[in-house]
Amino acid sequence: MESRLLRVDLTTGECNSEVIPHSVFERWIGGSGINNWIMWEHFLTHDVNCDPRGPDNIFVFGVGPLAGTGAGSGIKGRITFKSPCYNMFGDSAGGGKFPYMVRFSGFEYIAITGKAPKPCYLHISNQEVSILDAAHLWGKNTAETHALLQEEHGTYPSKTHTLTVSQAGENGVGIAGVVSDALRIHARCGGGAVMGSKNLKAIAVQGSGGLPVTRPKDMLAWSDDFRKKIDSNEAVYGFKRRGTLGAVEMYQHIGSHFWRNNQGNMFRGDEIRSDNWVKKYHKYSEVCSSDCFIACDAKYKIDGTESEAAQKYVGETFRRPEYLTTGSAAGALDVRDWAEVAHWGKLTNDYGIDNQDLSCSISFLMELKQRDLISDRDVAELFGHEQSLEWGNMEDIEACVEDVVFQRNAFGVMFRDGPYHGALKYSAMMGKNFMKYAMYGKGGASFTEEMRPFPTWMNNMAVASRGADHLKGIGLIEKFQRKDLSKIYFDGRIEAADLSTTELKGACTAVVENQVALLNSYGVCMFHWMLDPAGYTPQDYYGKAYGAVTGIDRTPKELMHDGERICNLEKAFNSRVGMRREHDTVCERWMWEPTEEGIYPGKVAADMFETVLSDYYEWRGWDKASGLQTRAKLTELGLDDVADVLEADGALA
Amino acid sequence: MSSAPQKELVTGSIRYAPDAEVPNVDHKLFALRNQCTECNVCEIACALVHSPDGTINPQLSRLRIEHAPEKPSKVSPHGIGFIAEICHHCGNPPPCAEVCPTDAFYYDPNTQAAVIEQDNCIQCMECVPGCPFDVVFVAPQGELLKCDLCGGDPVCVKACAARPEMLNEGKQYVRLPVLFYETQPDFNQTSKQKPELQDEVGMMQAMLERGEISSSA
Amino acid sequence: MITVHTEFHSHFRELAATDKDSFDLDQPLVSELAERIGAKYGPKMQAMLIDPETHELNERGTMFVDTKGRRISMEDTLDDGETITFLVGIAGG
Repeated sequence: MESRLLRVDLTTGECNSEVIPHSVFERWIGGSGINNWIMWEHFLTHDVNCDPRGPDNIFVFGVGPLAGTGAGSGIKGRITFKSPCYNMFGDSAGGGKFPYMVRFSGFEYIAITGKAPKPCYLHISNQEVSILDAAHLWGKNTAETHALLQEEHGTYPSKTHTLTVSQAGENGVGIAGVVSDALRIHARCGGGAVMGSKNLKAIAVQGSGGLPVTRPKDMLAWSDDFRKKIDSNEAVYGFKRRGTLGAVEMYQHIGSHFWRNNQGNMFRGDEIRSDNWVKKYHKYSEVCSSDCFIACDAKYKIDGTESEAAQKYVGETFRRPEYLTTGSAAGALDVRDWAEVAHWGKLTNDYGIDNQDLSCSISFLMELKQRDLISDRDVAELFGHEQSLEWGNMEDIEACVEDVVFQRNAFGVMFRDGPYHGALKYSAMMGKNFMKYAMYGKGGASFTEEMRPFPTWMNNMAVASRGADHLKGIGLIEKFQRKDLSKIYFDGRIEAADLSTTELKGACTAVVENQVALLNSYGVCMFHWMLDPAGYTPQDYYGKAYGAVTGIDRTPKELMHDGERICNLEKAFNSRVGMRREHDTVCERWMWEPTEEGIYPGKVAADMFETVLSDYYEWRGWDKASGLQTRAKLTELGLDDVADVLEADGALA
Repeated sequence: MSSAPQKELVTGSIRYAPDAEVPNVDHKLFALRNQCTECNVCEIACALVHSPDGTINPQLSRLRIEHAPEKPSKVSPHGIGFIAEICHHCGNPPPCAEVCPTDAFYYDPNTQAAVIEQDNCIQCMECVPGCPFDVVFVAPQGELLKCDLCGGDPVCVKACAARPEMLNEGKQYVRLPVLFYETQPDFNQTSKQKPELQDEVGMMQAMLERGEISSSA
Repeated sequence: MITVHTEFHSHFRELAATDKDSFDLDQPLVSELAERIGAKYGPKMQAMLIDPETHELNERGTMFVDTKGRRISMEDTLDDGETITFLVGIAGG
């Protein structure tokens, strides 16, 4: 197994092709594992405390070894960089055709450093790489940029697929994402701001090469078997129909929504609380990421008959809102019309901006206004234009989005790095402490879901390497109370699936983080695994496909070890930028304010938080007092070189 | 990485005797226009099955996903915009084989599909314009590519994200699969059959009207 | 004999074509409830409820909870008047 890395220095305009040798795959699997390693190596020669918006930051794109090999599990590209909004490790995954096409261009990994003297974009056509002028693309949103690039580069030697940033990225907005083919956003952590700060508007790729599969017969057999497993899983059909919107009713039942800045945890409004979105809007057919056996995505088209609000968006068509689009609009901002929720999804995607950070920023201010903690005059001063900050008012919400994207007033500038930094700045400006109303974990914007009844999820929010995050350690065992999974991972013990105890909760976070690190390194989607986490295990089932493609055969135990190694490198990066145990925390509301509704009332994070966190460090083999890694653990993982770097930085326990 | 030829992956390489009469293809592989979601699984699977050395390259697959938003279909009036372009397996001899100057086409006895024998092919590309549907493709190295029905079990049909199994017997979607592999007698019927309408819209509405559910549920 | 109420959501509602139902059970057992629901609403519902290999409740992409929000399993007993809610187990997005 070998791979090619394209290194681009935008300051000098130099582009070099490097081989990533087999030995690197042996240690880092691929995908996010290799991305992390490329970034780690970069910051051995560059200042790790550099300004993430400066030329010293690195932007890595990578796609894992299982992508595009008929594994049928979708293709996820991954971008890795130092996050400009959270100032620590940052990465984000996204699907679409761009990662698929990168796979056939011959370069699986792209590392971009420096800063171009003027706006440019990168064009990769197989092994030919050019840095081209982007003056005509500057100031365009992601959809417009994508259309122009597709027209420009046409369909030879293959179709053109793009990774673009919007005006938000150009303006250095910390919560700006990067969008693949104008449809799928790599939202978290502000990759858009990194690209924008490098004057890089887009990457366009065309590829007509092949990718090697070491044991094609094994891969075909695996692929056949996987497809049969998918077809015999009845839950897949429900998922195909609704996607993650299926979670709306479950969350409503157990009280897991994030209503009005998490003042409540159930949706209000008759229509929005059920997943009957599909019956009204699913008039278009499904769309799909590449190489997926399920195709869960769909397109909607609004014809104006759906609701009164829908009349504003007649003819609008985009991807069906997934749960987080719904959770941020219908939940955090209390928008009660599906047409408006769908429009929110399109808006944030076209402007390439993270709707979690954005909705939590807006809902923070809405709550201050609701509680009369700020006056109309304060609001007028902050926004410089008429702004009601009324829950669910879509026109005002749209204005807020544009304020941030175009950095056109004090609100936009203050909240460009999400709710935590925004709330800090606003509190300082007003001379009052509003942090009680900011929703965050580890400095990152809250995932718009109720966390308090779920200790593992709460722990995820506190420890995730990229700030409050559900995808680094998605707590299926606990939220779905999967005793069967708990038994598999903890020698027959079932406590990980029991919401009423702290037992095994920290362990559960650690184990699932390792598994998810594997999935992210293979370059596949997480939903296949989620539909049967006991059946399609990353370390065992996917491990066989990984072996067939790369020729690297590992036992499940070895692969879990590999996943742990990847998590440890992310942790090491954060330790280098000064993150310690005190940073692994969540916001005041989650910590101290009990839930009032839902099936699990009266829960606060503080009840279990410290115990679970200590348990997590213990399972990880890290120092409980400082939260730092120990040399013993790093040596066990074959990371002595990493331990040396940490020791030199004073970041080793 | 192994570079040994993996030709045994493709089945159906027995020829008819040169003077034998070849019946028409008894199965039809066809794609419904504008039903495709562009998941590319068919291209990848086809490329892998026909790969001589285990390299996957969609440019070497025997079918292509094309973007054609201007062609809506009856079943999907809005159109999705994608079409799986694949050999229509015309009656024997097909136009592509007829124009071949070196008789490089042979017939697979399992399926009666015309298949290109690469050793006899001189890459003159006469068959490319010879095909009325533009579905004989040219690989980057000049090799001519045409669907061979995988010897009777086309992998593209099995792998498609809108494969018949995935549509769950017409219950989940008011739509048909994208790729069909059917015997000729059923061909007309299948392509014209109206999908079963059992969607949630009608059902929920009826339940609401009967008072069985409330809108606030 | 006891009566158990059921609530169906999302895919379950589609399979059952109703959002609520009640069952009179001879034995207060989850296994009997699952069997009765499967028999009433056909093979697809049965596939959603019972794992054909293990004959346990199907854990794949599902979540069956009682009124206290606890996940139920085959060996659990049910109280008279209890409501069991059938949900799909999906998170994130």
